[in-house]
Amino acid sequence: MNKIFSVAKWEFIEKVKTRAFLISMIVTPVIIIAFAVLPTLLGNQEGEATKVIGVVDKSGLYFDGLKEKISGDKLSDNLPKYVLVNLSTEKNDADSLQKSADKEVFDQKISAYLMIKYGGTDSVNVQWRSRSAANFNDVRTFERAFNDTRIDLKFKQEGIDPSLKKFISKEVDIKPIKISKEGRDTESDFLNIFFSSFIFIILLMVMIISSGGMLVRSLLEEKSNRLIEILVSSCTPAQLLTGKIFGLSLLGLFQIVIWGLIGISLTGAGTVHPDAFQNIPLTLVYFILGFIFYTGIFVGLGSVVTTEQEAQQFTSYLSMILVLPIVFAITAIQNPNSEFVRILSYIPLTTPSIMLLRLNIAPLPTWEILLTIFILLISIFISIRLSSKIFKIGILSYGKRPSLRELINWIKEK
Amino acid sequence: MLTVQNLTKEYKNVTAVNDISFNVEPGRVFGLLGPNGAGKTTTIRIVLNIIRPTSGSVLFNNRSITNEFFNKIGYLPEDRGLYKKSKVIDVINYFAKLKNIDKNSIRQKADHWLRKLEIENYRHRKIEELSKGNQQKVQFITAIIHDPELLILDEPFAGFDPINQQQIRETILSFVNSGKIVILSTHQMETAEKLCSDILLLNNGKEVCKGSLAKIKKDFGTNNIKIEFEGDASFLNSLPEVNSADLYGIYAEIHLKKEIKPAEFLRKISGRLLINHFSVIEPTLNKIFIDAIKNSNHK
Repeated sequence: MNKIFSVAKWEFIEKVKTRAFLISMIVTPVIIIAFAVLPTLLGNQEGEATKVIGVVDKSGLYFDGLKEKISGDKLSDNLPKYVLVNLSTEKNDADSLQKSADKEVFDQKISAYLMIKYGGTDSVNVQWRSRSAANFNDVRTFERAFNDTRIDLKFKQEGIDPSLKKFISKEVDIKPIKISKEGRDTESDFLNIFFSSFIFIILLMVMIISSGGMLVRSLLEEKSNRLIEILVSSCTPAQLLTGKIFGLSLLGLFQIVIWGLIGISLTGAGTVHPDAFQNIPLTLVYFILGFIFYTGIFVGLGSVVTTEQEAQQFTSYLSMILVLPIVFAITAIQNPNSEFVRILSYIPLTTPSIMLLRLNIAPLPTWEILLTIFILLISIFISIRLSSKIFKIGILSYGKRPSLRELINWIKEK
Repeated sequence: MLTVQNLTKEYKNVTAVNDISFNVEPGRVFGLLGPNGAGKTTTIRIVLNIIRPTSGSVLFNNRSITNEFFNKIGYLPEDRGLYKKSKVIDVINYFAKLKNIDKNSIRQKADHWLRKLEIENYRHRKIEELSKGNQQKVQFITAIIHDPELLILDEPFAGFDPINQQQIRETILSFVNSGKIVILSTHQMETAEKLCSDILLLNNGKEVCKGSLAKIKKDFGTNNIKIEFEGDASFLNSLPEVNSADLYGIYAEIHLKKEIKPAEFLRKISGRLLINHFSVIEPTLNKIFIDAIKNSNHK
């Protein structure tokens, strides 16, 4: 026990001190924040100048309506967001109008124009023609304005009371509410589930991949300079393996705590929905057990690696295997109560991720929680036992990678 | 005392160690010798309880070696290397802790050895910043810091300059003199000859010769001569009087057949070579090694 602790402490402290760990510690959240914040920042920044938009409409039905609908859009300094120019003339046909309008776009007199064909008929067709890829927000604004105008025109034609339009266009959303026995109602929308569980699943996988890679490289170092022989002449392979697993798990936990603190201090705890924390204890249980289980497998297999090249191959296989639970989790999020998903939560390889998800989707019966935790514990026990058998021989084999059959023989060996 | 009895280790296609037995007594350095691939490392690993033998047993003071012995064993493997990015003192601490020594005595002993091997200034430096020789000293310290009762050293002098070799040799001898059991595995016959009282010579996993060095030399025969010469001496090996001759450019070590008188032999070859020096010598371990391996390969 003492020796397991010594190994765990060494693995933890020596890895925490490395530059690679420090970098991943800082860079990972920076990247996540960059991905989360930058697109919105960029999206907002664009359009801070009034755009001149042309309209080509041979039918002449829509210009006034569009202009009226668009006039409400203002920039932050209260200038209009769009200025509409009517490019249609009586004498030219649609094709030559389009040509001249295109030219205006190229000359940068207008930033884009609407090409409305077959106006007033059922086969009306509208194009947003611009030099660069269309700005999604602009197109949506004009789409709404156009459809509004179109409905207004039809109502007028048929002599229908315009106030009816409001009634028709108002849609009622159905709000999904998750109820609990304690009387707490929670809005269970996708975002909520995403933030409370999906993030943990991805975090789990990312951490397993990064610490798995770290582990394989450090094992490789110990093998290549025969340090491993000194280690196993000081403690049993099982002690060494267990110490390494716990050291790494500690490292992972440490990383999460730091990231959690960074996250909370950046966003302020208030902005996170308190219900996201409601399942924290169980989430942590599945997270930690899952981490130990996966690490247990990878230490065993990783001990077989004999060259840097193989280590890289190994890490990429590892990532591929780990994508699987994420893919299943996406299916599960769409259909959380299916039989398939339930079965997945009893298969050790997917238990952690599926349970992390199900926890936040629907209240689970206690027996199911206990059963899955039990399954995970047993799997950890078995994976460490099998791994330590492979590990015991793997760490002493140099030069050639064993075949699958040899691995199985190693496991069978007493 | 360490007793190894009828040790055999078979892998799928090869027998790495084939029925070897030997005793290592405290107070005498035991030399485990043999060419590459002879089975030395496998034997060491079995003694260390890292791998299990196919058959045979290893007894330490009449008890079989189990995991309890971890803390009594010190091991210096042939390939050296430590955690490059870690500090000297941290590495020493870690290995000492794995041998279950308490903190206070670790500090005391680390101080002692760092000073004795003259690397105390590097205590807080990273391993990779040390010269190769100093890195090896650190590794040597990790092998002996827990005062092991059984010390196994694989090529302990490789990579050391003569002054450091002297230091290491003194340290090893002080261990032996305090009644520890020391096994030395090496290719350097001169070192083995100077340090070892008993040897076991392995080839292809089998015993070639073993026993006390003095007895082995006696058994090999006394009819050895050394000549220094000028000219082409390649004909020496084909002479009927010669058991074997090892040529080294300007001198040769020759093992004569029992009945040959050295003086007659000198007369015979002096016509064909210019002899600068002639002496009757004890066989060197190097000579015994080469002859024994050649013979066992011919069989």
